Amino acid sequence: MTDLRRTLYNQYEELLTPFSTSLSVEFRQAADAVGDRLTDAELKEWAEAGLDLAKQSWRSWEAAGEYYRVTPQVIPMLGTEGFREWARHGRELAEMSSALAASYFRASPSTIPKVGYAHLGDWMGLGRVLYKGTWRSASLAVQFFDASPQLFSKLTLDEVRVLVRFVDTLCDRSYDLASHCLTIAPTSLQPLTGEDRIAFLTFAEALASTGWADARSYLEKGPALLAHIQSAGGGRGRFLDLSRELARREGRQAFTFFAEAARALGQVDSENHGMLLSLAEDLMPLSPLAAMEFLKTAAHVLERIPADTVPEWHAEGMLLLEQSQEGGEAYFRLESSRGEEMLESLSSRIELNKVADILRMYGKALTGAEVAVHSAEALAEKGIGWVETEAPSTEGSAIFLPPFVEEFPDKDDNFRVYKVYCTHQAGHLEFGTFDFEFEREGAIFPTLRLEAEADAASFRAPARGSGPGGEGPLDSDGHVDAPGGSAHPELPGGSAHEPLTDMERFFDLFPDRRLASDLFAIVEDARIDVLISGEYTGIRRPYGERQERELARRPDVSQMPLKQAFVENLVRISLGGTDYVLWPRPLMPFLEEAASVIRTLQHASPESGGSGFRPDAAGEGMGELAAHHSPLTTHTATVEDAAEATLRLYAIADRIPNLFPDASLDWQEIDGENIRVDTMSGGAMGQDMDIDMPQGEQQPYESPPPVDFRGDFKPETVQLLMKLRNQRYDKEQASPISPEQLRQMLEKSVEISIADMAEADLTQSSELFLTNLIKELQQQNQPKEPQPMPMKDGQPVTGMSTGDDEHQLPGEPQYFFYDEWDFRAGDYRPRWCRIVEYAVGEGQAQYFDQTLEKYASLVGQTRRQFELLRPEMFRKIKRLYDGEDIDFDAVIDYTVDRRVGVTPTDKIYWRRNKIERDVSVAFLLDMSASTDEEIAKHEKKYQQDDFDDDPRRYFSWWMARRAQELLTPPKRIIDLEKESMVLLIKALETIGDAYGIYGFSGYGRDNVEFYVVKDLEEAFSDVVKKRIDKIAPVRSTRMGPAIRHAAAKLEAHDSKVRILFLVSDGRPQDHGYGRDRTEKEYAIHDTHQALMEARRKGITPFCLTVDRYGHDYLKTMCEDIGYEVVPDIESLPSRITTLYRQLTA
Amino acid sequence: MTTEPTFRQYAIEEYVVTAEPFYKPVKDEIELFEAAYREKIPVLLKGPTGCGKTRFVEYMAYKLSRPVSVVRAVDGNGQSAEETGRPLVTVACHEDLTASDLVGRYLLEGETTRWVDGPLTRAVKAGAICYLDEIVEARKDTTVLVHPLTDHRRLLPIEKLGQIVEAKDGFVLVISYNPGYQSALKDLKHSTRQRFMSIEFGYPPRDLEANIIGHEAEVDDAVAMDLAKLGEKVRHLKEHGLAEGVSTRLLIYAGKLIHQGITPRRACQVAVIWALTDDRDVQRSIEEVVSSIFE
Repeated sequence: MTDLRRTLYNQYEELLTPFSTSLSVEFRQAADAVGDRLTDAELKEWAEAGLDLAKQSWRSWEAAGEYYRVTPQVIPMLGTEGFREWARHGRELAEMSSALAASYFRASPSTIPKVGYAHLGDWMGLGRVLYKGTWRSASLAVQFFDASPQLFSKLTLDEVRVLVRFVDTLCDRSYDLASHCLTIAPTSLQPLTGEDRIAFLTFAEALASTGWADARSYLEKGPALLAHIQSAGGGRGRFLDLSRELARREGRQAFTFFAEAARALGQVDSENHGMLLSLAEDLMPLSPLAAMEFLKTAAHVLERIPADTVPEWHAEGMLLLEQSQEGGEAYFRLESSRGEEMLESLSSRIELNKVADILRMYGKALTGAEVAVHSAEALAEKGIGWVETEAPSTEGSAIFLPPFVEEFPDKDDNFRVYKVYCTHQAGHLEFGTFDFEFEREGAIFPTLRLEAEADAASFRAPARGSGPGGEGPLDSDGHVDAPGGSAHPELPGGSAHEPLTDMERFFDLFPDRRLASDLFAIVEDARIDVLISGEYTGIRRPYGERQERELARRPDVSQMPLKQAFVENLVRISLGGTDYVLWPRPLMPFLEEAASVIRTLQHASPESGGSGFRPDAAGEGMGELAAHHSPLTTHTATVEDAAEATLRLYAIADRIPNLFPDASLDWQEIDGENIRVDTMSGGAMGQDMDIDMPQGEQQPYESPPPVDFRGDFKPETVQLLMKLRNQRYDKEQASPISPEQLRQMLEKSVEISIADMAEADLTQSSELFLTNLIKELQQQNQPKEPQPMPMKDGQPVTGMSTGDDEHQLPGEPQYFFYDEWDFRAGDYRPRWCRIVEYAVGEGQAQYFDQTLEKYASLVGQTRRQFELLRPEMFRKIKRLYDGEDIDFDAVIDYTVDRRVGVTPTDKIYWRRNKIERDVSVAFLLDMSASTDEEIAKHEKKYQQDDFDDDPRRYFSWWMARRAQELLTPPKRIIDLEKESMVLLIKALETIGDAYGIYGFSGYGRDNVEFYVVKDLEEAFSDVVKKRIDKIAPVRSTRMGPAIRHAAAKLEAHDSKVRILFLVSDGRPQDHGYGRDRTEKEYAIHDTHQALMEARRKGITPFCLTVDRYGHDYLKTMCEDIGYEVVPDIESLPSRITTLYRQLTA
Repeated sequence: MTTEPTFRQYAIEEYVVTAEPFYKPVKDEIELFEAAYREKIPVLLKGPTGCGKTRFVEYMAYKLSRPVSVVRAVDGNGQSAEETGRPLVTVACHEDLTASDLVGRYLLEGETTRWVDGPLTRAVKAGAICYLDEIVEARKDTTVLVHPLTDHRRLLPIEKLGQIVEAKDGFVLVISYNPGYQSALKDLKHSTRQRFMSIEFGYPPRDLEANIIGHEAEVDDAVAMDLAKLGEKVRHLKEHGLAEGVSTRLLIYAGKLIHQGITPRRACQVAVIWALTDDRDVQRSIEEVVSSIFE
């Protein structure tokens, strides 16, 4: 080290020490490290720059310290030239804030290599952007520099630039938020690929300027959400661009849309993302909202229609969007009828609720019994043993079908699937599957059941645990998860109770209940199939197609243990698929024997043979079948025959060990020639066959996979349910079933596996099962009142019980759905409002009579007026051109006229005219909270005038009024409505018009309450009197659906004149009935539309309101429709009666 | 009359069923009717539309005129009606059917009036079988008119003429009535009902109906059986979407269309489904039943 240098060092050390001793130490250390690389001049310049920094402000020595400290690292990176520039940037920063400069220097060594010399200025500039002269902005800028090494290690300069812009925008709102976002940005951006980051951040920036509060959630959750979207093809970036556009144009809720749309796309097959995004991009220029709605509902739409039809769906909406923004948006939101129709027409899916009515009537026609059709989900929900939600089934009184069918690209084909399902289940009911009686003889097979029962009884006690044929007990079926660990069906034999049902008694015959149950299902289903084929020629083709399809998807038999393969082969034979059978040659006699049993059963049915459906089925062809048509000559196989067949098949199956077949076995097809029709066949039960059985370790027996169109078959449970049902109806029944008995049956049965139904502990589940069972029966037992409910607009929900009558209050509510008119979109919102119909509770009947007393004079008056309306039954009308007979007076006049030479009139006939008054009316009362308002306020004023300035008179009046108020509470609008109804009832009863009184209120579209005081068909009774007392103000006023519901009721009522009389106290109003609470137009338009709909149905609507400001909106609401504003509320009762008279006269 | 009419025209009391109508008894209705006829008991035929009430009356008119005409001819009473058989007077009742429509009325003729007997009067005078189809459709004051004819008196008072006509031997009143579809308002009065012996008609059982359809429509047994099956299934829907079950008549129409070469499904659609209901859902349901039964 030269002296010069030493002097220089000492000189600067001295100069720097006053700022801080540590500063001079930093200087010295740095100088020692870099000294060699710098010329003296450079060194001096460097030292001087530090000194300048330190001098700049009170705390700038800290920045100087950092400056010196990092120099040894920075100089090698930048060279002297670069270093100078770097230092200059630092000085610039220090001029603003020394802290800024300090952090800049501090971050430099690790940042510079990442940013690069060329962009040094850019980097500094970014920090400077964030600094706004306030301390908060300074600390943010400091944070930026401090975080720089990390930021730049993960992001490119461009990305950081956008990030800074984003953070900068956030600063306008909240520094805390900005700082937080800056902190989390590097980590949260990490998962994104480079190209997406810019887009991500650009959207963030857009969000920051509109929905800034969401910015943080976006930054935190955005990348994860974005991961839902297919990244290939720039999908994420495009999606972000769409989101940004939305944020820019619409502002509100951009993040919510982003999140929901991303999630929705996550549910869509990723290969469709590109297409969906392009379609959304097409929508963007028209309406960003529509574009996002489109993406949001895409998952739902794709569930209903195939992907290649989406553009069509989109095009329709786009067209709509061009005409009306609101309409198009509603379309893509799936809130318009047009959208619903479009989806419906594009979709090949058949939904059960759309065809349930047709299938119900179809089932009714086939079986002649009242057959409800419900979704299989509803059956599973009942928790009474069924768990499948897709498989068709029946529980003896209703048919349960999968909620939708979407197997084919064609609607008709899908419907045919439903039809086959429904026909098969109806077949069980039509052909008496569940009428099985243990002791009844079959029509074709000799009865072996009783014998077998005796054998089983003597066999069971001593030889417990070892089944017939030397086979171990089939303890392995693993499906009967009965509590107490007793999985052996035959074990509870000791404590055996009397079987509850014949089916149970039958299954008790078999040690392996599961095998027996499977075999019975096969033969019984086969029987049903054949009977259906005989009865219904037309369904053979679709039925055959189902069988073919089923056969094609059966599992490979050669991979199954032998007994299972045997059962599987029987399934195929029962489906008519003899050509699908594969079975080891040595064991073929067994299968031939079994096939003969099935064939015999099938042949014994009219038009029997094979499956009867498949034209190519071995043995029989369609033409031949038709020729067999002679239903009266053959015996028809009964369910008892199926049981007999089961016994025979079981005996054969029992001999076949369930072990995996030896590879050496020669599998072959069955020879159709060897399948015989012989009612005695199987009588020997394969016992005489001398065949070597393969030996080896047996596998637990498992049921073959179900046949989809035959569905879930639970004969034992159904018989139990039917028995319980009958027991309920027939109270005389001597021995009611005890829960204990039920439990035993449950434990035995293989049809119900509690474990599948609930995960809770087993004892509890079986309790639950019993409770469900009993609940189910109670529900079914409620007297179902056949109420002719309007079906057109408001379809009653499938699965809802309709059980309610006036003796049981509050009754089970009924639900109805109605569309609502969106005047902006110019379209209906499909099934938008849910009406809940209740019967009004009962109060005191005295109310009715008291009101009549109170209005005694008015009652008399109106009654007289109404009596005048009473129709005169036969009135003779004279002077007609044609009629019943000649009016002799007229004839005489006629003759006289002719004689005199005057042209006589030809009107010489008379006729008796029958004038029938045929009126039905529905009164719809506003029961909104506002009817709670007192009406006494109005009268106070003019009464006060009476007592001028006399305080004593005023006081006595006031006292009197107080007393009066205590005696009779102040009158409210609702009270007047009630009183009006009382008067009307009195009057209407005199003229015999059919009338219904309803109230409505509710909150929100899902909960429009519709109260029945008196239904149209209901007779006036004390109950109605009591209900009137209970009319009370409730909540909001959503008029539209209430009007629609009342109109539907009127429509179902066959009258010449139908009137809908609406009494309200103000304009329609409800939560969500319009854009916001204050918007009137939406509600008014919907109400108007509802009134017009009523009118189109031939109903005369009339609106009466007590709202004095009613004229404003009534003009719009009741355009072309009669209305009146009752100015003096007190006159409501008399006014209503007068109006009614005028309307119907 | 110089021109030869191209149609056949009968005076109301001269119409006699000459060709034997096809009728298959379901139960003992033929014997019952014969017994009632001999004992001069009026008969009420109850049953849904198109189940064969009218055909039954025609058949009985034919059957009863066979031996009777012979016996009467020997009696030497000498009226034309008796030589050719038992006349059948049918009146379809409707809402505006008045007493004078049945009994008779004055007509104006020049400056005088002329009395014209109504169909009932003519039947009474001719000793015909008078069949009032769908009697409840007529007004109540009209139905009361037949009361004196239905008891031991067998008289028809003609108020306007101031006359009473005694029913000729062989006259019997047969009325029909469909209890199903009329509203409660249109029920038959008890005072009227209790003057008649009543025979209930239902739809024939499947095999018999198939036989009838086969004969009437000239279709083969399989088609006839399928149509009968369809009838049975559709009748299950009564009161559940359908006010009335499908009549045998409609099934025969369907059969006839099939006979003419119309495909069975189409024939059932036009002759059964559309004839039965306008309700789309119900139509669809029946269509499904049809397509299950027919290929």
